[in-house]
Amino acid sequence: MPGPLAILFVLLGTTIVLLVVLLIRAPLAATPAGKILAFLAFCAFPVLCGFWGLNEHLERSKQTAFCLSCHIMEPYGRSLYANDAAYVPAAHFQNHRIPVDEACYTCHTDYAMYGTIRVKLHGLRHIYVQYFGTPMQPIHLYDPYNNRECLHCHGGARSFENDTHMAQMDQIKANQLSCVSSGCHDVIHNASSIDKVKLWRPQE
Amino acid sequence: MSTSGPKFSNSFRLAGVLLIAGLCIETISLFWVHPIAFLAFFVIGGVLLAAGVLLYLSSIIFQPSPSSRD
Repeated sequence: MPGPLAILFVLLGTTIVLLVVLLIRAPLAATPAGKILAFLAFCAFPVLCGFWGLNEHLERSKQTAFCLSCHIMEPYGRSLYANDAAYVPAAHFQNHRIPVDEACYTCHTDYAMYGTIRVKLHGLRHIYVQYFGTPMQPIHLYDPYNNRECLHCHGGARSFENDTHMAQMDQIKANQLSCVSSGCHDVIHNASSIDKVKLWRPQE
Repeated sequence: MSTSGPKFSNSFRLAGVLLIAGLCIETISLFWVHPIAFLAFFVIGGVLLAAGVLLYLSSIIFQPSPSSRD
């Protein structure tokens, strides 16, 4: 069965062909059936294609390849292959604790109400800064990393609810004690020094 | 569209050209996973599609009725 993308391509092609036919043979659109066809080709199908294509692009923007396609993100992409278990993103990526194809999005999305929309707006801001502004050096998050994103998966997990974490659970949940910047799990991407780290090469 | 006058015919044709251009850009952008592809889709393709659809809708809404043409 063809996938949604194949169906979208068929719809795009069909709409273009219909438009060309209606432009070449304009009198067709004067008949009652032609008016319906013209409405489909000039309004309904293009709107459908637009929203479907937008959804496709938004889904693609979650892909690791999409995030790493900008030159400035290269060291962050390399850090996912750091051969050192202390690197939190690398440990998650290499052990498939997160979906490998959506690694960046999984940890850097906002697991709150309307979080996806907020993250997409951040993404638009990234694009604007990348092409029309000056990217910050070194790049950093707009807001401090929220424990909520870690707890989305780890919260309630047996391995997480050990004595160390349970003793500070209220502070962790209240985001008063950061998972990543309070000395516990603070080796994150370390992009500036990733060239000095041995990288893991996945076996083919 | 000789039944509706040359002005309507021109709008109809322009709307078609805008829509074909917009749909072609949207099709090409879908072959590439990159922020520029998203920008092309959203900014160029989106504007062309919106302009084409609005032009078509305005041309059928504001076309003269048969009685006014008589």
